[in-house]
Amino acid sequence: MLSIKNLHASVEGEEILKGINLEIKAGEVHAIMGPNGSGKSTLSQVLAGNETFEVTEGEITLNGENLLDLETEERAREGIFLAFQYPVEIPGVSNLQFLRTAVNAMRTHRGEPEMNAAEFMKLAREVSKQVDLDPAFLKRGVNEGFSGGEKKRNEIMQALLLQPKLAILDETDSGLDIDALQVVSKGVNALRADDRAILMVTHYQRLLNHIVPDYVHVLAGGRIVKSGGRELALELEERGYGWLGVKDEETTPSAAS
Amino acid sequence: MKPAPTLSSAFLEPAGHSLPGPLLELRKQRGTALVDMPLPTRKTENWKYSSRHLKLTDGLAASLPATGKNGLSLSLPGYRVVFRNGVMIPEASDFPDIEGILIQRFGDLDDSDAAALAERLDNTLDTRAVQMARLNSARFEDGLYIRLDKEAVLDQPLFFVHEVTGTDSGSAYPRIYVDAARHSQITLVEEYLSSGDQPVMVDSVTEFTLGDGANVTSVRLVMEGENVQHIGATGVRQAANSRFESHCVGFGGPLRRHDLMVRLEGEGGECKLNGVVVTQGKQHYDNHTSIEHVAAHCNSEETYRNIAADQSHAVFNGRIHIHEDAQKSNANMNNKNLLLSTGAEIDTKPELEIYADDVKCAHGATIGQLDKISLFYLVSRGIGRREANTLLTMAFINELVEQIPVQAVKDAAQIRLNEFFDQTFEEA
Repeated sequence: MLSIKNLHASVEGEEILKGINLEIKAGEVHAIMGPNGSGKSTLSQVLAGNETFEVTEGEITLNGENLLDLETEERAREGIFLAFQYPVEIPGVSNLQFLRTAVNAMRTHRGEPEMNAAEFMKLAREVSKQVDLDPAFLKRGVNEGFSGGEKKRNEIMQALLLQPKLAILDETDSGLDIDALQVVSKGVNALRADDRAILMVTHYQRLLNHIVPDYVHVLAGGRIVKSGGRELALELEERGYGWLGVKDEETTPSAAS
Repeated sequence: MKPAPTLSSAFLEPAGHSLPGPLLELRKQRGTALVDMPLPTRKTENWKYSSRHLKLTDGLAASLPATGKNGLSLSLPGYRVVFRNGVMIPEASDFPDIEGILIQRFGDLDDSDAAALAERLDNTLDTRAVQMARLNSARFEDGLYIRLDKEAVLDQPLFFVHEVTGTDSGSAYPRIYVDAARHSQITLVEEYLSSGDQPVMVDSVTEFTLGDGANVTSVRLVMEGENVQHIGATGVRQAANSRFESHCVGFGGPLRRHDLMVRLEGEGGECKLNGVVVTQGKQHYDNHTSIEHVAAHCNSEETYRNIAADQSHAVFNGRIHIHEDAQKSNANMNNKNLLLSTGAEIDTKPELEIYADDVKCAHGATIGQLDKISLFYLVSRGIGRREANTLLTMAFINELVEQIPVQAVKDAAQIRLNEFFDQTFEEA
């Protein structure tokens, strides 16, 4: 489904991704782990089409289509979804209006009729229950005044509404307490499907206890330095990143000053 | 030094002589006083950014001819008074005869009402500060006088629609005076529209006096075309415990100027002034507001938002003057500005003069652009660029649009806003 070949990307002239190769098939769940600054978030942003990052080399295809030729909104309509690490607060745009506009943009793209306000309200209420969000949130500004956990649940709610082909979850576990982590995991697990792939980007492996990946990749210095199965994540938890020759101040106790 | 230019004598010839005697007399007096009035120039502080847009050519001096032709198809709910080219059109107007409420064109006032009105006209405005209002007083040909007796309540909004129409160049001088006695209530909607493409100047003046506990809401929608310069002034005087609310929504033109002056003269008075301005192309819009806290224990709250696209220019000047005896005044002023292009310009200036020592007075002004991260967030959900930009721009003014208490005005503003968004934002 997703094929990344020799991907190089830089921001303000500094190269962050230095030749990423990754193949993800429909139905698979991949986890990308790595220390801070390894390029994990950059990879997510580049996949979603953030123009701050410049792709200097390589290619990305989604079901054979060159993703790099597409604008952010076109990628989204082709089925790329990025759950943001830091969801944006947009006061003045109601969550409901935002979600309905997004869902209808997708429907229009697929040649389906738009949903009217009442139809959408019904759908949104159902989905908000799945991620344990009070439907009253729908009336508030996008992420406005939401707690960290509420913002992450709102991201998963969007994924459930938009039904992407590839869902990229950027540090979706960060800032979550254990209850919120379970709710979010439940939502992500509900996304798992034979025709959908999930790419999880995370620093810690605790999310992977709840959402079990098929493959784990370690990203360091802008390259994937090791790939393996579920057991690789457990090994990383036990041993940190140091044994891979990767420096990480947060997870390698000996490196802490 | 070169003397300041004065008004061309062509402007000192009022038309329309069917007004009652006292009003004709007043108009004549005001005209005489105008002869030496210096016109605003770049050195006139309150016209610093706008004087070069003010074009008082002789071609604009003549009054626009009265016309029975309706240039626009208007369908307004509720009570309405339609003026065309400065003169009331009775057959297009529709309002009830309500006990305790006088709604009458100047031309139909009897002598005693006309004399009473002549006593009052101009008494809400500092005419040294609003030069162009003085021209209105020398030139109005008709006007609308609304008088509410004590405790009278107009049960629906009254629409005052002023339409510029026809194929002539010239000027129009719409005039409204609202006299709201104690505990009376009214919502007045002013809509300024135009058809046609000849250069026109509209110089409008609206005045409100509020008795004790009166409750007046003013809604002002300015949507004239690119051929119309509009210079408007609104003066308000408030007695004790009265409440005045203003909602101004304006779209740009070659020159749009509005002076809004509120005097809180009795204890417990309250005013709330909201404004939304949208400009594009080479348009120019200048809002000057002034709130005078004359009496103690009054509240004022002011929120203005400007959105400027292309090479347009918006100006906001907000003055708050707290007089020496106005202790326990509470004044809040906020002006936020959104630049949608690198060629657009917005100038904002809060002006606070505080002479009392026990007051709360806050002000804030910002100028910014649409947030790129918010835009990325929206488009990453499949929302198109135009729609994403529109959502973010609407978000900037939504709070104020939502507060407009008249649905028909909200709808009309939204239609015009949507045109603006379509013209301003491109689909990627």
